[in-house]
Formats: sequence, C-alpha cells, structure tokens
Amino acid sequence: MRFLQSNPRITISGGFILLVCLAALAAPWLAPYPFDQQDTHSILQGPGSQHWMGTDRLGRDLFSRLLYGARMSMAVGIFTALFAVLFGTIYGAVSGYAGGRTDNILMRFVDLVYSLPDLLLIILITVTIGRGVLGIFLALSLVSWVTVARIIRGEVLKLREFSYVEAARAVGAPHHRILFVHILPNTLGVLIVTLTFRVPAAILAESTLSFIGLGIAPPFASWGSMANEGWSAMKFYPHLILFPSLILFLTMVAFNVLGDALRDALDPEQRMR
Amino acid sequence: MIRFILARLAWGIPVLWLVATATFVLMHLVPGGPFDQEKPLPPEIRANVDAKYHLDQPVMMQYLFYLKDLLHGDLGPSYKYLGRNVNDIIRDTFPVSMQLGLWAVLISVIVGVGAGIVAAARPRSWADHAGMFLATAGISLPSFVVGTFLIMVFSYRLHFFPAALWEGWRYGMLPAVTLAMLPAAYIARLTRSSMLEVLHKDFIRTVRAKGFGERQVLLKHALKNSITPVVSFLGPLTATLVTGSFVVEFIFSIPGMGRYFITAVTNRDYPLIMGVTLVYAVLIVLANIVVDLIYTWIDPRMRVGGN
Amino acid sequence: MIHRNWIKWAVTIGLILALAVLFVRTSARVPPGPAEPTFRMTLSNEPPTLDWNLATDSVSFDVLINLMEGLTEYDEQLRPRPAVARSWEVSPDGRTYLFHLREDARWSDGKPVTAGDFEYSWKRLLNPQTAAEYAYFLYDIEGAEDYNTGKADRPDSVGVRALDDRTLQVRLRKPIVFFPSIVTFMVTFPMRRDIVEKFGERWTEPGPMVTDGPFVLDEWRHEYKLTLRPNPYYYGPRPALGKVVMFVVNETTTALTLYETGDLEMATLPPEAMATYRGKPKYFTAPLLRGYYYGFNVLKPPFTDPRIRRAFSMAIDRKEFPAILKRGEVPASFWLPPGMPYHNPAIGLPFDPEAARRLLAEAGYPAGRGFPTVTAAFNTSPENSLIAENLQAQWKRNLGVEVLLDNQEWKVYLKRLQTDPLPLFRLGWGADYPDPDNFLNLFTSTSGNNRTRWKNDRYDALIRSAAADPDSAHRQKAYDEAQRILLEKDVVIMPLFVATQNWVVKPYVRGLQINALELLILKNVRLERP
Repeated sequence: MRFLQSNPRITISGGFILLVCLAALAAPWLAPYPFDQQDTHSILQGPGSQHWMGTDRLGRDLFSRLLYGARMSMAVGIFTALFAVLFGTIYGAVSGYAGGRTDNILMRFVDLVYSLPDLLLIILITVTIGRGVLGIFLALSLVSWVTVARIIRGEVLKLREFSYVEAARAVGAPHHRILFVHILPNTLGVLIVTLTFRVPAAILAESTLSFIGLGIAPPFASWGSMANEGWSAMKFYPHLILFPSLILFLTMVAFNVLGDALRDALDPEQRMR
Repeated sequence: MIRFILARLAWGIPVLWLVATATFVLMHLVPGGPFDQEKPLPPEIRANVDAKYHLDQPVMMQYLFYLKDLLHGDLGPSYKYLGRNVNDIIRDTFPVSMQLGLWAVLISVIVGVGAGIVAAARPRSWADHAGMFLATAGISLPSFVVGTFLIMVFSYRLHFFPAALWEGWRYGMLPAVTLAMLPAAYIARLTRSSMLEVLHKDFIRTVRAKGFGERQVLLKHALKNSITPVVSFLGPLTATLVTGSFVVEFIFSIPGMGRYFITAVTNRDYPLIMGVTLVYAVLIVLANIVVDLIYTWIDPRMRVGGN
Repeated sequence: MIHRNWIKWAVTIGLILALAVLFVRTSARVPPGPAEPTFRMTLSNEPPTLDWNLATDSVSFDVLINLMEGLTEYDEQLRPRPAVARSWEVSPDGRTYLFHLREDARWSDGKPVTAGDFEYSWKRLLNPQTAAEYAYFLYDIEGAEDYNTGKADRPDSVGVRALDDRTLQVRLRKPIVFFPSIVTFMVTFPMRRDIVEKFGERWTEPGPMVTDGPFVLDEWRHEYKLTLRPNPYYYGPRPALGKVVMFVVNETTTALTLYETGDLEMATLPPEAMATYRGKPKYFTAPLLRGYYYGFNVLKPPFTDPRIRRAFSMAIDRKEFPAILKRGEVPASFWLPPGMPYHNPAIGLPFDPEAARRLLAEAGYPAGRGFPTVTAAFNTSPENSLIAENLQAQWKRNLGVEVLLDNQEWKVYLKRLQTDPLPLFRLGWGADYPDPDNFLNLFTSTSGNNRTRWKNDRYDALIRSAAADPDSAHRQKAYDEAQRILLEKDVVIMPLFVATQNWVVKPYVRGLQINALELLILKNVRLERP
C-alpha cells in the first residue's frame, strides 16, 4: 500500500472526496440555514454576505442546500455503485467461471436487461418504493449492475485459464473455494477501479432522472436536482447553475482521477513504466 | 462467414421476442393506463375507447394480438397520437436521430482517438494531462448543462450556430457536440490506455529499431493494434446514439426518436413503447454482430463463432 | 497481411459511414429571409390530433381555432357572437335552438358549409364507434347520451337536424341558457362526411384536410412544425399573413432563446425570465380562465372535520404565490376566476392564521399538537413542486402542522385520484368555454371530475337550476351561494391562484388576439417591419 503515500494524484483526489463526504456528514452543523427554510422576501438573490451562494426560487439558502445535497448525491452514488459492483461481481464471476451453457444463458439475460428501456424499470421501481434515496438507489442499481457483470466475467474468463487455478482444480478444490479464494481476489484491482467509476456514473444518472422529473423528491435536494432547477435559468440567475455544476464537476473529476490513478497503481503491467 | 452472420441473425429473433415480452410485462406493471387523464372519461366512452384498442381484453390476449400484428411488421396504432401508426412515427423520426447520432459518432471517434493518440505519444507530458483532464470533464457534467452552456455561448452570444430546431446541417452542430462529449471522452481514455499497452510490446520495439519514424510507429503500427477496445465500445454506442437522446432532443427541439423513450412511457402509449424498444433492440443485436465481424477483420485469430 | 487487410476494411467502413451521413435525408436549407409575411411561434407539444371531434387539449385547440370556425365564436368579452351561424333563436321553453347559417361560408375546397356538415359532425362525435372523449359536451341534446352510451342503436333519435342547407335545429333535453357558448368549442365544429369517409384516419394530414376558417394546413412535419396558409375561400377578410409556422418546442427556455436570436415572432415567458422582461414594451400579459387548487378527500380523516379543512385554507397566505411564480398570478380564495361571468372577488376565506389556529384547537389540536401526519399529493412538475413546498412551509409556520409531500408522475397520479383520492391533492381546471357552469359543475355529486367524495344536495340543486335560468340576477345569486357552500361553509377545496399567460412579442407584430382561454387568434395579425 505504499503507492498510496507516494502518489499525489491519489492523495489529492482521494482527499477531496473525503472532504466532500465529511462535509456531507457534517451538513447539519456546517449549514448556516435549514435546507428547507423559505424566505419569500429574498427569492433568487445572488451571492452575498447573507447567503454566500445566493438563494433559490423559494428563497432557500443555496449553500445549505448544496451541503445537504451532498448527502443525497454521495449516498445515491456510493450505494448504487456498491450494489452494482457486489451483485454484478457475483453474477459475472459465476457466469464466467461456470462457462458453457450456464454462462450463455446468464449472459443472454444481461443482454436482455441491456435492451430494455431503463425508464420502464425506473418508473416501476420509484412508483413502488417512492422517490426517496432508497427508490432511486434501487432503480439505478438495477440498470447498472449489468455493466459490472460483463467486466468481471471477462476478468474471470482470463483468470480461469491461469495455471495456479488449474492447479487448484487439479487437487480437487471445491468450486466456490476456487472462485472466492483463487479467482476473485485477483480481480480486486479491477473491482476497486470499477467502483470508483460507478460512483460518478450513478451521481450523473441521478441528475438525468431529475431532468426527467423522477429524481429526489422535494423538498430534499441532490446536486442533480439542483442542477436541474438551475439549468433553464442560466441566462437570468447564473448562480443557480454555477455552484451545483461546479461542485458536481469537481467531485466527478476527483472520482475519475482517483480511478485512473488507482488503475495505474494497481496494474502491474503499467506500473513498469 | 455468411453462415456465422445468418446464425447470429437467427439468434437475434428469440432475443427480440424476449425483449418484446419483457417490455410488455413491465409496461403493464407500471400503474396508470393510456386513457387515464385529467378530465376523465365517462365510463361509457371509456368502454368504447378500450374496446377500440382491445384494452378490454385480458392482458394475455392483448399480448397475443400484439405479437400477431408484429409478425406482419405492424407495430400498431399510437394511443396518444390519434390516426398515426407507430410505423409512421418511427419512419418520420428515426432518420433524424440517426443522422444526428452518426455525426456524434464521427465527432467522438475523431476527437476521442485523436486525443488518445496525442496523449499516448507523450505520456505524462502537459498534452497528456490537458487531454485527459478534458476527457474527464466530458464525463463530469450532465448533458442538459453542457447543451445549455453551448447554446448560451455559440448561439446566444456569438451567433455561430442556431440555438435549436432542425432546418439544415448547421442546426445539427451543437446537439451533435453535446451528444459526442461523453463518448469522445471515453474513447480518448480507451485509446490512450490501449495504446500505451501496445507501445510497450516487443514488436513495436522491433519496428522502432528498424528506424521507422515516430509518427509511422504511432499511426501505422500501434493504433491498429490497439483499436479493439474502441471498436467494442463503438458497437453499442452507435446503437444508442442513432436511436436518439431524450435530453438533447428536448433541449434543442429536434424531431427525433429519442424523446419517445421517455414520453411514450409517461403517456403509457403501449404500442409506441414497444416500437422504440424493439428498434433499439434490433440495433443492439446488429451492432454486436458487426462488432464481432470487425474483430475478426482486425485479428483473424479471434475466430468467428467462438471456441 | 493481417494489417493490410484490416486497413482495407477500415477504409470501407469509414466510407460507408461517411456515405450514410451524407445520404441520410437532410432537411431543406433555411429559406433566405422570408419574402412573404411569416409569423413564427411555438406550440408546447405536438398536437395529439387535429380531428376536432377527437381533440381534447389546448395545443390542438390553438391550431384548430385558426383553421376552423364553428356556429359561434368569442368576442373580446368572451361572449358568443355569430360566426358560421348568422343568427339563432330559442323557443319559449328554452329547449329548441334554431341556427341560421351564413350563405357565404366556404370550405377550403370551395364547397359551401351546410347545416348537414354540423349534423354529421355532431352525430359522429356522439357515435360510440368514434370513441370521442368529449362526446359528453353534447349530452344536453335530446337522445345524445342514450346514443353515445349504446342505449339507443341509431342516431335518428338524437335531437340535431339540418332542416335545410342553411338551418340547423337542435332540441335539448332541458333548457340550457349557455348553449351558444358550448358551440364555440372545437368538438362541435362542422365536418365533411365525404372527406372523412374517403381518407379515413389520415384526413387530418395536409392535402386531404379541408377546413372552413381563415387558414388551411399546408404542412405538418410531425413532432416538429405545422405550416398554415390563408384559406382562399374564407368568407371574412383574407389574413395579411402569408404563412404561419408553429414549431413544436417543449422547453420554454429554448423558445425564448429562439425569440432572442430572431427565429420567432413570439414566445411564452418562463418564470425565471419575468424579472428581465416585465415592463418592456414587447412584454404582454393576460389572465387565464384557469384555477389552481388543493382539494380535500372529505371522507379521509382528519379532513372529515370541516373545522380542520377551514383551518388549512385560512392558514395560507395566497400572496406568496405570485412572489414565487413571478408571472403575475392572481391570488384567489374564490373559485370563479376574474373574466368569467358571475365572478365575485368577495367570496372565499381570508388569510387569518390566528383564526386558523383557533379552529385547529377547537378540533382538538392546539398548536398542531397531536395532529396526525397527513400527505399532500401533486403531480410532478417544477411549478407544482414550488407551490407544494411553499404550502408545506406555510402550514408548518401558521398551524404547527407537519405535512408530507408526495409527488407522482402524471398518469400514476390520475389513476390514484380516480380510484382512491388522497386526503389532500392538487388539481387545476381550465375553462372549456366561459360559463361558470363549466367550473362549478365539477363539484356536483354526479360529476366525474369530483375527486373530493363530497356530496351536497343544496349545491347540486343550485347548479342545476342556474344552468336553466335565463335571468342573470338569479344566476348570480345561485352561483354566489354555491361558491360559499363550496369554499366557506364546507371548504371542499382551497383555491390558490388564477394562472396568467406571459408572452414576448416582436414589436412589429400588430393585431394579435390572445384571450383568457389560451387561444391565439391569428387572422388579424399584420407584420409592420420597419
């Protein structure tokens, strides 16, 4: 784990993400106003000393909402990524390891999920569960695990042919042991990298859901829902879109840089350079 | 080769049937029907409407009716746009989405592969860092923010391109760039990492040792050996882009097909949901076949039909 | 060898791709500067249909009102005035109308508009096979409901008959004083049997479509634009416009940018643009006959108690809505909007937080303590969200009550309202025709649109008698009392505001008529370019 200390890209991006997570957790103490406190006398004010980032259409403090929005966005991003990676890994690993007919059937199911309109699944789930964090997280997870399943299956297919796996099989180790002890730990690098890329993807997907009108339910905010409230006012009230976009952008970049850096660090072939 | 293509196409038919069935089941699970509206219909009229579209029949019968029509290539009438068939709607809108989508594919390939090569040629240089930062930026903002920003700058302030509508090639530029942003960034990353990997292979050293120029090494030998991941990404990407994007078509007021992936669902326009899903599924199936074919052209060691 | 092969294929694929890009149908270039006077505007979505028997929505109506003319049309005060009908007379018992048609009304193919065209249209509207959603508009005609609901097989018993080419006789099952208002509505426009039967469902496409109004449909590129041109056979003065282009633009921000870049003559203003444009000479605002309300399901506790309903209504400061929505909305505690006949601004509960708290305390919840959790439901939209979040904050502030919000996608929401209305729900109502009956009939016990589960015999009787009463003083009294029962005594709904429309129009546009029914009448528009 020494590479973690010596790599500035990892330190900076990881540090930024940590900072955002801490700010999200500490939102109730950091926020100068309650996130849903309305003031009809100060609607749509620009940034100033009272409201550092200005106010929204109901006179709510934008900075406070960004802090609370961090909770929603990070929760949706991280939980969705975790679920997608967990389920996708098991699915992909079983499929790749089993091979043959099982693999074929499992992968055709993945193809099927790929071909279905995401929105049908998403409406179905958010209608059943509601538009809270849980509903959105489940909806996004269900449409995103397939990508992970494909990646992991590919890895497992490669690893399955390695000599030490064949050796384990030759001495009669049970399948689950081979899979969980000999194969999956070797996909850890890929897993971590996939995870860091799934988080921003999920955060971005939530913002598209907000655009369609299926994002986080009001009065709660996510960065995506705030960007959605702001984009149409870009010409008239730029602060509405500037601050949510900025924090969204920085966080996305941080996750992607982290993912890249981790991949470089964990991939022995590239580390040689 | 022909046998392989035919076999894959034949395999596509059950896939399409599965997609149709799954979509049919899912859309009927979603609460609300096509004729639930603000000013609800008196029950007698509702009964007439339901009878006209077989909605008074059990869902199983509706499903069989649908499959029967589908076999004749009839995607059915739209419930929302009276007097229009789903076939008409797709015929009118798919060419628009396809044109826009192909532009976007072209832009993302040119920009993405170009940036990837430049970055891989000099790893860790400022060009590499700048290129990769831009590539990260491309996947860091929602497309509705990017699109609006482009409109503000290039049509509202600079008057370079029209803000919206679909009246000629100039109208396609901003939406195509908006669409291409994310795939271009992704392709740039894919190309870069794949090229870096290839550049460290032995045969490249051999080529270098033979005294070929750096440009030739990069473009002729390294690129063609590192293009595989880009090609496999391009297949589904093309299918997705040519069927249109809700966000981009919405913001730029483009009469494409992408909007129906959302509006058909919100309107519960069952035949239209089925129609656009099937078009997408067909394209995915075709794209995957094409990708497999391209693999074999790039590298005949990957035999068609698998092992 | 491998590599050379690959390059060959790559070149081939590249060529195919390039050809595809080139040969995919490219839309026509923009014509260089419109030579003829062209009016360009937007529609908020594709008209679902232009078959006026089947149309139900305001976008279709926006197009049809410029293509078609019915028996009557609105004047500036939204009273019916003669259009295709030169005059009409009512029998003494108020149940038979005779409409006399003008001699010079022509369809766009030159044929005269006859009474038979109306008879055909109305019977087609009522034909169960047509499955027209608005067939019930003509249910007050003798035999109409029976025919439409299948109780009578043949249309012969329906009380509409062309006595000759110029005379249309209508027999009603009960006296209706506002019948001439009903026939302003698009579903009652005349229709050509020969055209409909010849072209089937495609008769509304340009070419087959024949209309009798100032314009004809020239081009309809679905989901994108409609082009209108003057009807050469129109009996009135020929429109000054050579062409009307209606683009389908869903997003108001996009429309406004197009207006600013000179691609549109007019655009509707989104709330965020109001502060920038208000007061500018090109800015234009007008009230709408469209009310926005929250209703109670009076069978669901705690709203079974009228004191609680009243407390909720009195705890709302309706002045906050125009501050939030910024479009000059009219705060409304009354239900009949300004501009509607018999509107009375004195009706409705005032904003009185102390009285509201007192009422809540009387009902057993002093300062909101112990009040059960209730949920306010609305359909997903940015505007509804803003209003709901504001109401939530107001009820918390003024009553000490926590209200949860539940927003649902439109279709899901409607299904829910029809099967099991939520205790507190949002809805709106836009006038189909400017008579109070259209607004107050909603809450009668027999109305299919009454989601409140509230039934009141006195209210029903008032609405019924007012519809048949030609005396306007009597109607005023009846509607005032009905509104008081609805809003002050039983407090079944809480009206919040009356919506407005806000436009920017290029300064060279003259003669544009915008009315409170959201109709844009273009026949008198002229462009006076400098």
